[in-house]
This record gives sequence, structure tokens and C-alpha cells, in this order.
Amino acid sequence: VKKRLVKLVVNFLFYFRTDEAEPIGALLLEHCRITKEEENVFSISFVEEPERKYCFECDSEEQCQEWIEALKRASYEFLRRSLIFYRNEIQKMTGKDPLEQYGISEEARFQLGTRKQ
Amino acid sequence: MKLNERSVAHYATCDSPADHAGFLRKRVERHHHHAHHHHATSYQRRWFVLKGNLLFYFEERESREPVGLVVLEGCTVELCEAAEEFAFAIRFDDAGARAYVLVADGQAAMEAWVKALSRASFDYMRLVVRELEKQLEEASKSLAACHKSPRRSSSSGRKRHLSNPALLPLQEKPTVLENGYSTWGSGGGVPGGAACPDRDGGHVKPPPLPPRRRSAASSAAGSPVPGLSPAMPESPVSPETACFSKLHSWYGQEIAVLRREWQERQKRGHP
Repeated sequence: VKKRLVKLVVNFLFYFRTDEAEPIGALLLEHCRITKEEENVFSISFVEEPERKYCFECDSEEQCQEWIEALKRASYEFLRRSLIFYRNEIQKMTGKDPLEQYGISEEARFQLGTRKQ
Repeated sequence: MKLNERSVAHYATCDSPADHAGFLRKRVERHHHHAHHHHATSYQRRWFVLKGNLLFYFEERESREPVGLVVLEGCTVELCEAAEEFAFAIRFDDAGARAYVLVADGQAAMEAWVKALSRASFDYMRLVVRELEKQLEEASKSLAACHKSPRRSSSSGRKRHLSNPALLPLQEKPTVLENGYSTWGSGGGVPGGAACPDRDGGHVKPPPLPPRRRSAASSAAGSPVPGLSPAMPESPVSPETACFSKLHSWYGQEIAVLRREWQERQKRGHP
């Protein structure tokens, strides 16, 4: 068990030795699963290798929960799904497509039902 | 620097749809100490795949693994007056990061790539999602305030967005989360006030695209390499995006080294 400074930046989790400015490693957080392992421990695993778990021990259960919530929302795919969801809800409610004003309503990446969830 | 390459390569090549893909020629970047030897600029044709905020490139379209990766955060995409027509560049705010000069095979292809890459960042997506969240809140409230009678259809969909833990409102603060304390803002972003706004939401302004920090005109010959842009308080780019340039340079070199070693072993007749 090694102590690391861990930073979540967009969809990457960087980790550093505690006194160093440059990261020693990074994990891309796409197609991954975040699991609570024990009271203070969570793990990150990836779909193509689910038995390989990157485990992190936190100082408290609260901190652990905070990280789990943050990491679950950290992927680009999560953002994309959220966008599509909100767009759809707004459209149902107001009859208007909110993406039109940003000029991105035709982009394939925002179309409902074209992506694997 | 370690990276979960296997997962990254899997993400790059799995069948989740790409946001954009195509052949581009990539300018070969030479180290500065070679610069005074006048090497001709050369380009390598690569197959590029954009997924989310990640631009992968492969030696061949059928390659099993990417040879490089560009993380599209803290960068601008601009047209480029290189010797080549249809050239554009990805440049980073981090002064130490290398730029990527890419050449498309036509005007339409170039425009499509610049458009796709300019809007690919996680930061941009997050901006749009936050705006939509606000719009949804406002639309819900205006419907609730303007209609005394219960809503017609089952509101399980609408309720779900508030209570579904997977879709908790994104916080306002920048999302740099470090051990022990987070910089997430506390409390949700629900606006106060019970006014019934204009029903068609016409008062909502679109969010600006992340600012282009440089003009579209390229640097003239002989101008110095620009350093960091002057500090822009409204910039969505966090200093942590400097981490990504490390990732780029590491990933590109590592793969090149592995390939060379593999090729040498092949020549020597090893399996």
C-alpha cells in the first residue's frame, strides 16, 4: 500500500508521489466500473479486464463515498449520456431542441439511440 | 509515466462509435537541436479516430493498437498557414507541449475536423450540460408555477432526473478533486425565485464556446513561438491540463520505442 496524491482531471485519474510535481501514472476513466470494496476502499476496474482492480484506500468512509460519486460521473460517456437525457427532457417539456441555439443539434454524437449505453 | 494502455487501446478500438474518423497527414516534429540542420518537413499519413476528448491515431486503419493519443483539453484548434494546403494545428496552452500539425485531403474534410476537434473537450461538454441542467430546472419550475393542475403525463422521467444518483446536478466549482478535500461546490445549483419566466425559454442565452485564445491567422515566418497566453480569468482551462502534455509525449515515445525494439527482434529472427 503506497500513499499517493490522486487528482481527478476531466476523465483521467492522475497519481503522484506525495512530494513530486509530475504524475507517475494515469488511468483513463472510460468503460470502467467503480466499486466500493470495504468501508474505506474503492476499486476501479475496466470492462475488458474486470478481474484487475486498482484499489484505493481512503481516510474515511465519507471520503470514499465522495470519490466513488465523483469517479462515477467522471467519464466523457457519462457526460454525453447526461446531455442526451437533458436534451430529451427539455424537448418533451418545451417542444424545443435546446441544442439548436449552440449549433450542435445535428451532431451524431448527441443523437438518441445511436450509442451503446 | 504509467497509463492503463490496455484499457486505453481497448477504448480506442472497441466498437463504440467514433465521433469522427479519417486519414490525415501528421507533420513529423523534430527536436529543437536538429532545427539548425535544415531538414525538410515531412508528414506521415495516419488513421485518426476521435472518441470523446481523445484523438487516437493508428499506423493503418486496421491496426489493433493506436500509436499515439492526443488529449484534447486546454488546447485550441486553428487553421495553419503551413506550406501545405488544408492544414490545421492543435496547440496547447501549456508552453512546453508540442503542437500537432495535421493536413486534411480537402476543404470539407479540414472544416469537419476543425469543427469536431474544437468541440471535443470535456470542458466544453460540461459547459453545455450545465446549461441544459439549468434550462431543465427553469422549464420544470415554469411548468409547475404556470399550471395549477397536476401534470398530464406520468412524471417519472422528470422526477428521475432529480433523484437518480447517476444524474446528480453537476457542481459549479472546477472539478479538481484531491485527497482529503474536494473543491466541489456544496449545495445544488437550484436557482431561487418563483417568477414564471417566459414559457419558450427565450431569455436563456447560449453559453459561449471556450474562448479561442489566438487569432485564426497563423504566425508569420520568423515570429517567436508564443508562450502562455496572457491570463484569462474566464478561461475554463485548469492548470492541471499540463499533466496531459506529459501523457502525450510519453505515450508517443513509448510506442515508438516498443515498435523499434520489436522490429529489431523480427530482423534477428526471434519469434
